[in-house]
Amino acid sequence: MTERRPNRTLGPDHDTFWAYCNQGEFRLQQCNTCSKIQWPPTPMCNECLSDEFTWTPMSGRATINTYCTFERPYYKECPPPWEAILVELEEGPLFMSNPKGFSVEGKERGTPVKVTFLDCEDDAGPFKLPVFELAD
Amino acid sequence: MANRVVEHDRLKKLKDTVAVVGVGESDYVGDYRSGAKGNAAEKGSGALNSYQLAATALKRALDDAGLTKDDIDGLVVGGPMSTERTCEVLGINASWCVSGDAPRGIIAAVQAINAGLCHTVALVYGNAQRSMNTQYGGPQAMGGDGILSYVYYAPWGMTSQGGLYSMMFRRHQLVYGTTEEQLGAVSVAFRKHASMNPNAIMKERFTIEDYMNSRYISEPFHLFDYCLINDGGVAFIIQRRDMANGKQIPINISGIGWSEMDIDSTQLRPRLKDFYLPAHHAVREQVYPMAGYGPKDVDVYATYDSFSTHLLFSLEGFGFCEPGEGGAFIQDGRIEIGGEIPCNTSGGMLSESYMQSWNHQPELVRQLRHQYAGTEREVKGAEVGQYVHDVAGKCLSVIYTRGN
Repeated sequence: MTERRPNRTLGPDHDTFWAYCNQGEFRLQQCNTCSKIQWPPTPMCNECLSDEFTWTPMSGRATINTYCTFERPYYKECPPPWEAILVELEEGPLFMSNPKGFSVEGKERGTPVKVTFLDCEDDAGPFKLPVFELAD
Repeated sequence: MANRVVEHDRLKKLKDTVAVVGVGESDYVGDYRSGAKGNAAEKGSGALNSYQLAATALKRALDDAGLTKDDIDGLVVGGPMSTERTCEVLGINASWCVSGDAPRGIIAAVQAINAGLCHTVALVYGNAQRSMNTQYGGPQAMGGDGILSYVYYAPWGMTSQGGLYSMMFRRHQLVYGTTEEQLGAVSVAFRKHASMNPNAIMKERFTIEDYMNSRYISEPFHLFDYCLINDGGVAFIIQRRDMANGKQIPINISGIGWSEMDIDSTQLRPRLKDFYLPAHHAVREQVYPMAGYGPKDVDVYATYDSFSTHLLFSLEGFGFCEPGEGGAFIQDGRIEIGGEIPCNTSGGMLSESYMQSWNHQPELVRQLRHQYAGTEREVKGAEVGQYVHDVAGKCLSVIYTRGN
């Protein structure tokens, strides 16, 4: 089933991120010079000022850093209680997302999770949204 | 992060060169209770505008200082106002003018005055955010698009500063075992302080039990962890110390400090991994040596408090307690007037008025003037006041002392 979601930020580089997601691939920009991984997409490496990047596949493995549960509606597409989690990717970046197939209630920091994709849709059309489920 | 060099000798030369000589603000309560039958004004009513609120505050600050607008030769403009229109409305052609929040404005003005660009700076803020129905979360938050930490994550339903700060407190809970009951001490204390302040919007005291029973907005945050949304204006006047006319006891600006922490801010690393501690520590290395005081010398303290949890983090970051100990430290009245370190003694943004760093400054000034002497609101014998600002990728601090 396709879920309606609030609009993505689109444009140069952002479009590339979502295009990979739509293929079921979780890739982030990695600097060709110093290897720093950037998120969200950026025009220039903020470590070494290079503008040459490779969209590198992430392992999809991550751990839970923190989370919250919205009990007040902010987006009509996201009715409360609405859970958001911040995960720390194995490669280092922090990634805001949603839990899939579990509730954050009582979860410890460091709980292992892995990426999966949800079929979603916004004003710009259908897309796949990276979310995280508990790792085995 | 680049190596920081703190030029203590240069900073110390600025100590006590500039003083706050006048403060004023709009009628927070009257403007808030302007709805039918004294209820809260409707959001989006358009009843008030930011310039009018700023002008009211400035007139009061000038009266307080015993100055006229012709004495003003510098301006700092805060809130959703343009410098051009603000100066036009106030009728001031200044020789120096910038935009900024209160602590950035203070630090910039101290520099400008010492550089000889101006001598008497009015810092003015007006924000009719309730009348304008300004949104801090959801599809229209801060204009609704772009790369901003709580706008970018819309597809995941993540929005609002409250969402981010509730995650920050949750992280503190997960790392250190801090509890909601412990955090509740902040909003209980600030409300108690507001109950003593005629110009505070929310005056009805509540208990920890009331706090725990209040609804969640973004769990773990309850309603009372959130600041108000109201209209208001604030102004204060800072002047070259040797020019102060003596109408009020000049309150010296004795310490300043500033550290940005913006790298990876959209990822929320400074907040959610680092709790802004590196920025707190960098500012500590400026503001305390410059003033010649440390946390143990601070008599009255104020922190930016869009959310209760700011207090926890800033007390830990500035060395009032160790990282992780904040939850226990703020208990037993320690942060209340009469306690060891009275915090946000006007009620702050949680209970007095959401003036985005501006309302804290007049309160510290009045406490150091001993203007509340003989009332329950008085912090007895206060000589040293500190403001800490840790929000949106930066930390700043100002230390005020009572002049002679």
